[in-house]
Amino acid sequence: MFAATTRLQTVQKEVTAMKTIPTTDFKTGQMTFFTGPAAALGEPMYKGHIMAAEEINALGGLLGKRKITTIKADEAAGTDANVKELRRMALEEKIDMFAGITSSGNTPALGPVAEELGVLTLFTDGCTDFLFDKAVPNPHFIFRITNIQSADGVTASVMANMQWPNVKSVAHLHPDYSYGHNAYDHFKIVMSKLNPSAQTVYEGWPKLGTSEFTEHITKIIDAKPDLLYSSLWGGDYVAFYKQANGYGLFNKMHFASTLSHGVAPQFLGKDHPEGTIAGHHSNYYFTYSNAQPGSWPLNDSFIARYRARWDGEYPNFQAEGAYTGVYMLKTAIERAAKLVGGWPEVDQIIGQLEGLSMAAPAGYIYIRPDNHQAYKDTVTGLSKNSPDYPFNIVDPMSVVKMPIQKLTAPPNWPKGDPTSTYTWIDQTWPKLSS
Amino acid sequence: METLAIYLLNPLYYAAILFLISAGLSLIYGVMRVVNLAHGSLYALGAFVTAWLVGLVAAHVPAVVLYLILPVGALAVGAVGLIIEPTLLRPLLKRPEEYQLLMTFGLLLILEDCMRLLFGPYPLFAREPLEFLGSSIIVGDLYPNYNLLVIVVGLVTAAFSWVLTYKTKFGVIMRATSLDMRMTSALGVNVKRVYLKAFAIGAFLAGLGGAFSAPTQGAVLGMGQDALVLAFIVVVVGGLGSLEGAFVGSLITGFVRSIGITLFPEIELAILYLIAAAVLLIRPKGLFGRD
Repeated sequence: MFAATTRLQTVQKEVTAMKTIPTTDFKTGQMTFFTGPAAALGEPMYKGHIMAAEEINALGGLLGKRKITTIKADEAAGTDANVKELRRMALEEKIDMFAGITSSGNTPALGPVAEELGVLTLFTDGCTDFLFDKAVPNPHFIFRITNIQSADGVTASVMANMQWPNVKSVAHLHPDYSYGHNAYDHFKIVMSKLNPSAQTVYEGWPKLGTSEFTEHITKIIDAKPDLLYSSLWGGDYVAFYKQANGYGLFNKMHFASTLSHGVAPQFLGKDHPEGTIAGHHSNYYFTYSNAQPGSWPLNDSFIARYRARWDGEYPNFQAEGAYTGVYMLKTAIERAAKLVGGWPEVDQIIGQLEGLSMAAPAGYIYIRPDNHQAYKDTVTGLSKNSPDYPFNIVDPMSVVKMPIQKLTAPPNWPKGDPTSTYTWIDQTWPKLSS
Repeated sequence: METLAIYLLNPLYYAAILFLISAGLSLIYGVMRVVNLAHGSLYALGAFVTAWLVGLVAAHVPAVVLYLILPVGALAVGAVGLIIEPTLLRPLLKRPEEYQLLMTFGLLLILEDCMRLLFGPYPLFAREPLEFLGSSIIVGDLYPNYNLLVIVVGLVTAAFSWVLTYKTKFGVIMRATSLDMRMTSALGVNVKRVYLKAFAIGAFLAGLGGAFSAPTQGAVLGMGQDALVLAFIVVVVGGLGSLEGAFVGSLITGFVRSIGITLFPEIELAILYLIAAAVLLIRPKGLFGRD
């Protein structure tokens, strides 16, 4: 009897849903860094989100009826203030979806709150493994678009081993917070498999937001490593490479980065060294498909539209991630609406987001149902100064795409420490013998 | 350790920037008894004005002009100091110091937002002055000539400040004001003018620090708060209100940080606070502090 009533209620709900597509706006909250050193990396996220919303609105909105509106907030306010702002957006502004976030320090704080509030959330970044490994191991309302963080360190390490297999000594320079430690851990575990005899000769842990690296630069040069590996990013990284140039650091060793080319492209000057591993969060750099012009038209048209909308700027991986996130939402809503015959409930949208796969500017992307994390093949390449661009780029001829399935822990792999991917590599990758 | 020369130069460079920031903070406190929480923001303003100017003209002028532009950023900050002191600080000088703390803290926030409004949210970089000078080989290692220039600027500024304080009439008046404002005033000195000049000089020094760090570190929103914390560590070590204290404090902070990064890289963040804590325990007034 009880089951029958519940069933009836569900059916009634679906019947009412079928008739109604609200004409009210679909309200989204977007939070990323609008100020400070992280803005060079995070702010394009907002631009990608807005551009997707404008494109959808130009065709009438979601399901042709609901316009997407966006309220924004500055992530630089700090974690506590960000949590308050999410609550305010949900309770006062009554947003239908929350999106954005750059820092790995913020998603583990915001994720549980979004779950508690029941707000559909598409984190663009803040991609720490910790979020779905530990903070919210069974997510319902929250999803994340850009690749999982461990893929960064793994991709950079594999690329470094492909590029320079004879490295004997490695120096590390990472910001002293979760991202830096994650990049360090995964680089090391991959090195222990692919180049087990390589020694670590230096570790530097400057504070996130530091712009003074002369001391570290001298120590690194003094340690005489074959390879310097770093996860510095945003304004910090720009200050670092400019200072390192003055000391001739890049002439003395190879350099591999996880995120040097993650900033909005115009921030890296032509003074940036060439031939370094030019990481971009293992997600997307706009030149990645240029080696075969026209081979991925989705990217070509995305770049053209982004440049037309944002004063000739080129998109970074955050812009692409936020843009793709909004389109994934649109696709999920359309599919759910087709099934229920009208505007879907949030749970029905979530049901369609789980397992959703689509073609995006960065390539194919897939949301794993078990952990709500989106995956795409990782990408990296080498830096180059091309006459075609006024800034240092990732050389399209050097781009390497790696299948994500080979780099990250599979579904249902037991939660591990420090991450599931770490234990998965540790237990399943063969060790290269010399 | 064949790079010993570089190891000695790095902390000197760092100390030079620290001195420029903290000397102004100390001067303002010494003369006016105002703890200027907006001092770091004045430093940031110097960096922003300079980076913006350099970016504006770098492509059109010969390299040497760029070095003349660097102090322009500092002069602009000095001018801002000339406006701030009589309008915002002077009315509060007779009140308890909480009011001045609140005012300078408010200024910190306002200046930060003004910079965002004027220069945009993104970091600005002015790499040309760094690049044009190139690098020298010092005992077999490359060292950026620009850093040497900063060291020289720090030393010259220290010398000028010393001469100004101890060898000029204005210095005598400034020190007298610092010791006993009422008595100095009774002797016919226009104390308001002394305050105005001291604050403008302090602001100029902060701006100079910002201007010279812009080519290497860039101008970034939020850099002011970090600089303020560092300047406080320096003056806690050296003694608030003392020029010698700012000089010696900067050197100590620079060298201890350098040794700290070499020997205990894991506690790079904590090391500066540990120095300050140690000095506070042994000499609460700082090395050159007075009652």
